[in-house]
Amino acid sequence: MHAQFDFTVDGLPVQVHSFLSQGFAYSNDNNYLTMQTSKGSFAMTDVGVNVSAQLTDRLRVGAQVYDRDIGQLGKWHPTLDWAFVDYKFADWFGVRAGKVKTVLGLYNDTQDMEALHTWALLPQSTYPLDMRATNIAHTGGDVYGNISLHKAGSLAYTAYAGLRSFDPWGGYYYFSLASGFNIEKISGHTEGFDIRWNTPISGLTAGTSFVNSTINRSGQWISGPFLGYSYSITNHPERTVAAYLELVRGNWHFAGEFRNWNVLNEISSTILGTFPYQDGDQESYVSGAYRVSKHIELGTYYSHYHVDSPTAGDPNSSHINDNAATVRFDLMSHWDLKIEEHFIRGYGNSYSAHGFYATQNPEGYKPNTDLLVVRTGWSF
Amino acid sequence: MKLTNPLFLAVTLGALAALNLVAGEVKIIANSSVGASSVSADELKGVFLATKTSLSDGSHVEPVVLKGGATHEAFLKEYVGKTDSAFETYFRSLVFTGKASMPKALASDGDMVAYVARTKGAIGYVSGGTATEGVKTLEVK
Repeated sequence: MHAQFDFTVDGLPVQVHSFLSQGFAYSNDNNYLTMQTSKGSFAMTDVGVNVSAQLTDRLRVGAQVYDRDIGQLGKWHPTLDWAFVDYKFADWFGVRAGKVKTVLGLYNDTQDMEALHTWALLPQSTYPLDMRATNIAHTGGDVYGNISLHKAGSLAYTAYAGLRSFDPWGGYYYFSLASGFNIEKISGHTEGFDIRWNTPISGLTAGTSFVNSTINRSGQWISGPFLGYSYSITNHPERTVAAYLELVRGNWHFAGEFRNWNVLNEISSTILGTFPYQDGDQESYVSGAYRVSKHIELGTYYSHYHVDSPTAGDPNSSHINDNAATVRFDLMSHWDLKIEEHFIRGYGNSYSAHGFYATQNPEGYKPNTDLLVVRTGWSF
Repeated sequence: MKLTNPLFLAVTLGALAALNLVAGEVKIIANSSVGASSVSADELKGVFLATKTSLSDGSHVEPVVLKGGATHEAFLKEYVGKTDSAFETYFRSLVFTGKASMPKALASDGDMVAYVARTKGAIGYVSGGTATEGVKTLEVK
């Protein structure tokens, strides 16, 4: 806790914090995460700055701006990451209103802050960089609290409802364009909860999350045989169920998470009529890390992404499996460097939007992707 | 093994003495505005993990930490159950999602005592031998 930038305004304490990371990615074959990784890419930069103030014992306000340039994503178009008012009536009950980071699984709300994690890339089955914007925050409200269970530990809960966030420079738009149709209108809502039990076993947390949400969009085909025709997709609520475990004991850190996602869309177009489309996937990972010393941490994870609707005749489209190994160097208390190797097998189907895009791989996909990621981050 | 075995007794007494020494290395202190004279281990952990902002007597409290050192690490290990780096990572996750502010961090036991003495609701810790005039010492139950 060495570096803090705080000051007072009319006697009120104000804190400013920031983070910045720069990465380099190099792959043997397929281009990954919208970067030209097969040639080596430095297009992997992100930054965030926040300001917050504790106005009274119970009331706090704050906001964070986030920007990134990761391959074709972000392109230095800043977004309001979160901005909310938080009133805590009691330790067991508080409310937040505004744009709030969505609590989903272990790391959804902290996925951008590389300094918090052992990894240069979080398991992409569960926390895909390209789909970040669709799950990262909602504009609405949360209720939250922490309930002591005495000898049985404690229970932290968050329940929320609001409008989904969309980023025209995010992966969802990029995926649509890469698939041959643009997005002219998009809207959606999201509701959900997260409950995590801090068990009486030291360092062991178990939790579950549930999300019910929609994405309704319309636009035109921009390529292919239906060029110029309009379409609309009505999303019957898509549902995500997550379960997770985390054990932090001494210098060891283990985590595991499983998610199941399913959706039923109703696709309408002037030329094709109306028809349903059902899809789903399963996302999971297990990870282990050991802090060797104050300056070095070693880690590894296995990430598994399974799609319910693989491309017919292509077994590599049913999954993306990633074995990763990381060395993290904490060069200074607020400056880290990570060197990480990924052995990725499979590439998902054309609707996966999990790192592999035909526009970045026009000659088709190779079944295996070996990827080196070097990332350095600074925060205060 | 017989309980009366002199070697066993010596080892046991030695271990108990060592535990007592560890517990005695850290003293929990609070501003005089804090009504409680004792705090439970669960409460203390909750306060320093920002999940509790008041004690059982209703006193609003604000955690204050040392920037580093043996007392800081002993406190975190004994009462919070985290290493220094895990504690910092935990608080950064709160700060960058807007859920809490970084706790005030002070360089020395002397600075800690002085800050806690003048700051309403402040609760901190110092090494066992530190003079604590102007603040109250909380017993941990």
